Amino acid sequence: MQDRRPIIMDCDPGHDDAIALLMAFACDCLDIRLVTTVGGNQTPDKTINNALKVLSYAGVGVEVAAGASQPLMRDLITAPEVHGESGLEGPVLPPATLKKSERNAITAMANVISKSEKKVTIISTGPLTNTATLLLSHPEAADKIERISLMGGSCIGGNWTPAAEFNILVDPEAAGIVFNSGIPITMCGLDVTHKAQIYKNEIEIIRNIDNKVAKMVAELLDYFELFHKKFGFEGSPMHDPCAVAYIINPNLFITKAYHVDIETQGEFTTGATVADMRYASNKEKNVDVALDIDREAFIQLLIECMTYYS
Amino acid sequence: MKKPIIIDCDPGLDDAIAIFMIINNSKFDIRAVTPVAGNQTVDKTSRNALNLIDFAGADVPVAIGAAKPLFKKLVTAEHVHGKTGLGDISLPGSHKEFSELNAFEMIHQEAEKFERNLEIVALGPLTNIAVTLLKYPDIKEKIKRITLMGGSCGCGNDTPAAEFNIYADSDAAKIVFDSGIPITMVGLDVTHKALVYEEEINEISAYKNKISEVAAKILTNSLKFCRKHGFDGSVMHDPLAMACVIDETVISTESLRVDIETKGILTNGKTVADVFRVTGKKANADVGIDINREKFIKILKKAMMNYDI
Repeated sequence: MQDRRPIIMDCDPGHDDAIALLMAFACDCLDIRLVTTVGGNQTPDKTINNALKVLSYAGVGVEVAAGASQPLMRDLITAPEVHGESGLEGPVLPPATLKKSERNAITAMANVISKSEKKVTIISTGPLTNTATLLLSHPEAADKIERISLMGGSCIGGNWTPAAEFNILVDPEAAGIVFNSGIPITMCGLDVTHKAQIYKNEIEIIRNIDNKVAKMVAELLDYFELFHKKFGFEGSPMHDPCAVAYIINPNLFITKAYHVDIETQGEFTTGATVADMRYASNKEKNVDVALDIDREAFIQLLIECMTYYS
Repeated sequence: MKKPIIIDCDPGLDDAIAIFMIINNSKFDIRAVTPVAGNQTVDKTSRNALNLIDFAGADVPVAIGAAKPLFKKLVTAEHVHGKTGLGDISLPGSHKEFSELNAFEMIHQEAEKFERNLEIVALGPLTNIAVTLLKYPDIKEKIKRITLMGGSCGCGNDTPAAEFNIYADSDAAKIVFDSGIPITMVGLDVTHKALVYEEEINEISAYKNKISEVAAKILTNSLKFCRKHGFDGSVMHDPLAMACVIDETVISTESLRVDIETKGILTNGKTVADVFRVTGKKANADVGIDINREKFIKILKKAMMNYDI
């Protein structure tokens, strides 16, 4: 218990964000000091509301602060195709009892980081606008960030454009700032999240866990599955939970260090995470890229986390 | 009927082996070789082409092509192919003349002549084909297929995002990929699996004809280079593309939309393949995904064995 790791969860719930949040709060080794939200899977008003609703439903008390209303330099792209109109279609949740913080996300992040005795880890499961804004407005915070574990990017082709993964595509300039910050980064991109699929029988296991949070998660997964079926997936990729699982247990993953930079000017490639996997440049390795995962152990961890709410 | 084909290339060490593989193949009517600047400057790649063809005892017109990319500055691969473009291979100088036609007129003439039957195998930057398409847009309909060595669905070899041939003239590549001409893309996804191992090089060397000796020397030198880059064998980019022309079942392909990035800061020259099919755009290239390496080696060996000079 003495070794609890201080965490900021930066997210855009989002089905898989919601599951990532619930996973993180179920884990005693994590000391989640702040949840911040950003526009992405849905508009920022919806993502903050979704975060508050999910955390209220799970009975979690934490500061939840709303972040950037749009990407640094671009118009917001959202993903209603995946997450529905509310951003969290599927389960019917009661209105939130938690209230959003009076502080904005950036102020709250800076404050949590400066007050923390230990370095803080950021788990980022949405576009990187909040973290980039933090680094621009509070550059000194960089030294007190232990690591950023993020869901985003891909070395194998994108899911929103042929070259780009959604979270990076939404705010490539922000991603560029974060990737070039010198802060240790773990990139859980499509390379690994497409291998982190949950299958129907495993959703049933979660549904049969004796608590309402697990049942809600099963309903989230039912909805999430519909979209992925259309694209030929056998199960649903658990994108965002990967970024949390890496912090809980990095041994579940195989990672490799590469230089990774973000394309911001391409005609077809904006938002691509350009990983120098063949060492064609001499640039310093700045990112631990997750390439493989022990899927079964990962799903087991997810299931265990859900029993926490019984 | 023999298959009419033009070899567009920039010899180049692996180009040399690719040329040897087909230049005396009786199933093909090799209409011309059209050298372009790439691995080396066009004066060197043209001279190398002429010497290689003559050395192999063939008589094929060499029509000199573009000296530089459409818009970009020329980048050669001297660090791989040496000052002459053929490393330490020295061939007798040919006394034959270059064709009076340049590459663009040659490609146009042959496309018209063999309406819808002419194939092109492209082993270098795509400048020659692009210039021809700009000058004679009608021939788009008249070329049966372009099999090209270039690109990658994963990462690159010249930059983190781009493969050398496409990077060298990304604008030309864009014109060719957008042309509607059927394309087989033999990129790093498959060429990095086209390895020739040491014992196979020794077998080729043992054929004891002068072509196999040159090929073995090229393969041996390449093996040293490739081992430094983490490969167990000699990576034969261009010979794989040529093997695909000789027998298309050497690789398995997937029909994909491929766009060429020409504006990116980090990604110029990337072949952006829509592998997860998110655009809904029509496929424009048959992209090599996997290789039957044994079959590739068989074709390579057979071609080298057949020389009795």
